[in-house]
Amino acid sequence: MHPATPPTTDTPVGRTHRTALPRRRLLRGLLAVTVAAPLMFGAAACGDDDDGAADPNAPVKLSIFWWGGDARAKLTEDALALYTRKHPNVTFEKTWQANQGYFDKLATLTAGGNPPDLFQIDDNYLAEYAARNSTLDLTSYQKSGKLDTSKFPESLWQYGVVDGKLAGLAAGENTQGLVYNKTLLTRHNLPEPTTGMSWEQHIAWAEQVTARTKVPGTQDPSADYKAFWVWLRQQGKDLYKGNELGFTAEDVTRWFELWKGARDRKATPTPDVIHEGNATDITKQLVVTGKAATSWVWANQMPDLKKNTKDELGVIAYPGDPSAQWARASMYWSVFKGSKNRDIAVDVINFLNNDQEAVKLLGTDRGLPSNLDLRRVVSDGTTDPAMKQSIAVEAELTQKFGKSPQVPIKGHSKVKSELIKAAENAQYGRATPAQAAAQFIEACKSAIA
Amino acid sequence: MALTTAPDPTRRGPGSARAHTDRRGPGRFRHSEGLAGYVFLSPWLIGLMGVTAVPMLLSLYLSFTNYDILTPFSEVEWVGLANYERMFTADPSYWHAVRVTLTFALIAVPLKLAAALGVALLLNRAWRGVGLFRGLFYLPSLLGGSVALAIVWVNMFNRDGAFNSLLSLFGIQGKPWVNDPDWALETLMVLAIWQFGAPMVIFLAGLKQVPTELYEAASVDGAGRFRQFRNVTLPMLSPVIFFNLVLETINGFQGFTAAFVLSNGTGGPVDSTLMYTLNLYITGFTELDMGYASAMAWVFLLAIAVITAVFFSTGRFWVHYSDGEDR
Repeated sequence: MHPATPPTTDTPVGRTHRTALPRRRLLRGLLAVTVAAPLMFGAAACGDDDDGAADPNAPVKLSIFWWGGDARAKLTEDALALYTRKHPNVTFEKTWQANQGYFDKLATLTAGGNPPDLFQIDDNYLAEYAARNSTLDLTSYQKSGKLDTSKFPESLWQYGVVDGKLAGLAAGENTQGLVYNKTLLTRHNLPEPTTGMSWEQHIAWAEQVTARTKVPGTQDPSADYKAFWVWLRQQGKDLYKGNELGFTAEDVTRWFELWKGARDRKATPTPDVIHEGNATDITKQLVVTGKAATSWVWANQMPDLKKNTKDELGVIAYPGDPSAQWARASMYWSVFKGSKNRDIAVDVINFLNNDQEAVKLLGTDRGLPSNLDLRRVVSDGTTDPAMKQSIAVEAELTQKFGKSPQVPIKGHSKVKSELIKAAENAQYGRATPAQAAAQFIEACKSAIA
Repeated sequence: MALTTAPDPTRRGPGSARAHTDRRGPGRFRHSEGLAGYVFLSPWLIGLMGVTAVPMLLSLYLSFTNYDILTPFSEVEWVGLANYERMFTADPSYWHAVRVTLTFALIAVPLKLAAALGVALLLNRAWRGVGLFRGLFYLPSLLGGSVALAIVWVNMFNRDGAFNSLLSLFGIQGKPWVNDPDWALETLMVLAIWQFGAPMVIFLAGLKQVPTELYEAASVDGAGRFRQFRNVTLPMLSPVIFFNLVLETINGFQGFTAAFVLSNGTGGPVDSTLMYTLNLYITGFTELDMGYASAMAWVFLLAIAVITAVFFSTGRFWVHYSDGEDR
């Protein structure tokens, strides 16, 4: 402030009067502009909320966002180009990135009033978005046949239903897969693990592998919610029941104790290596970094895992009764509820799932094709050995699959990270299995409250 | 000494008064000058309002709501002090993050300043090639909070990283430093301390300002090296130490990048690197609890303000401004 200017009074003090007013007006104007600008942009973003049923031939630019690697980007771009060829008025604004940070970005885009029309999402977040009304309910499109699920396994599309609304459509099917290093086992004349081994047998096998190869036999999956989930289902429990947890502290204690036993028998790596393998990143899975003979993944990740190692890999179901596994939607396509182009976005989903050419282009990158007829076409036509392998395993398991569980509820992402924390507490020996279990249950209660 | 200090009072006396009267000038001129001033200021002003002030106030508002990012603003519910209540009474991981951050700052900041001052003292001499060393020591802090550096750090302090190879030369069995909950935070501290270049350069500048006559006088009085350091260097340098202390403390509390990269954004292993800002980020963006995260941010702001205020109020007992009235 200039020393000669009285900042507040309007008393005419000779010359100062003339300068004070315009300046204050200017300041006020600046303030008004800066405050109003974001509001106006905000209004512009919310304003055009028409019914989405505009002229079908008007040019449309559809924004689409997914996570994945280069390979997926190439396949997806090809499939979208095919759509544009068939519908020249529709072009795409494509954005993709690695899985880490994807959901942070998606949330930020949504908050900024600039969400993509069409986005990829998985069961860890589907309920979070659906419960907050961010996803378009696809039920009416399904009923009118604009979204054709008649060739889908029923349990697969149902795994996209949250609170009675079809929040996302399965972009592919996968299931839990236990991937092991075949080369290592053959070199040491060790038997390959098989589907249907009990957990105890699996751990005993892993112990033997460690002893013979000096490579720890199996990653300790006690921090892995999907392994915990399969194990729970084999005990007649589940991850969630309605809006509650489907398990008790005793269940968690038994789960942690099972793996404490395995660690004591040296069937698993040391805690710091287990911690490395607890990252969801494919490149950090111990079976490809060579730090363990077995990793706990999703079956459709086989081709990607294969790209990260020279060794031959095999894949089977998780230990125990395989009917605890289910036809899981590996990921979904969802439409943003406020999208102006929602009808076209739904049509693109339908195209990516039911158009023979598009599905052939996409292959099994997002899991087995959801459309059973096309799944057969793709599996007959594939030449990639890793892809063949994951198709074979899933095809075999499909016979044994049990009923789908409910989609994980709101708060699940926190439950997942709390499981990692509690399991690692036990792994590093900072807590007994019972203490870690109690800590986990406590944290879950506030997470899903 | 007389020669160097003599011009000072004169410059500050009539000279500055003249500058004042010059700026006043006749009214018309002043008016347009003021307007021009604001016009030139407007990019900054718009930036301040749009990018800082408005979002900040908005986050203050959001801290009293259940905002979860995905819900539009219009449907956000006012929850009063619930977020603050939860923070202080029902969130153990919040207090864990506070502990981690305090531990980090209390150890890393003093050691970093000590390292900076020590190296600055060594480099404040007329050696041959001293310029090269100044550059080399400053280099790490140029890389600042970079992600690349954190990735290098993770690989260096892994079980089979370079650091353990070095240790094994001496027959020492290393640890998986970054993946060990007892050592991960310490690894981050070492990274922070290693980047002492910025305070070092400021210390160097401060050391150059200490008049050599004082050392001459001190040595005539029979003061040894250590005595000179304690009674001449430290008091003369105290404003610079104060400046660095305030700045580095705030920096230390805000440490985020290295912890995020080292732990894959989880604060692991077992929350050992769950810094305050990382916890805030996870709460807001992964758990979508942005209202609560905003409350955390405001408590954080207040806490840093209080700590800085404490520094300023204690400063008058140990910070020595050489050109003050009392000298």
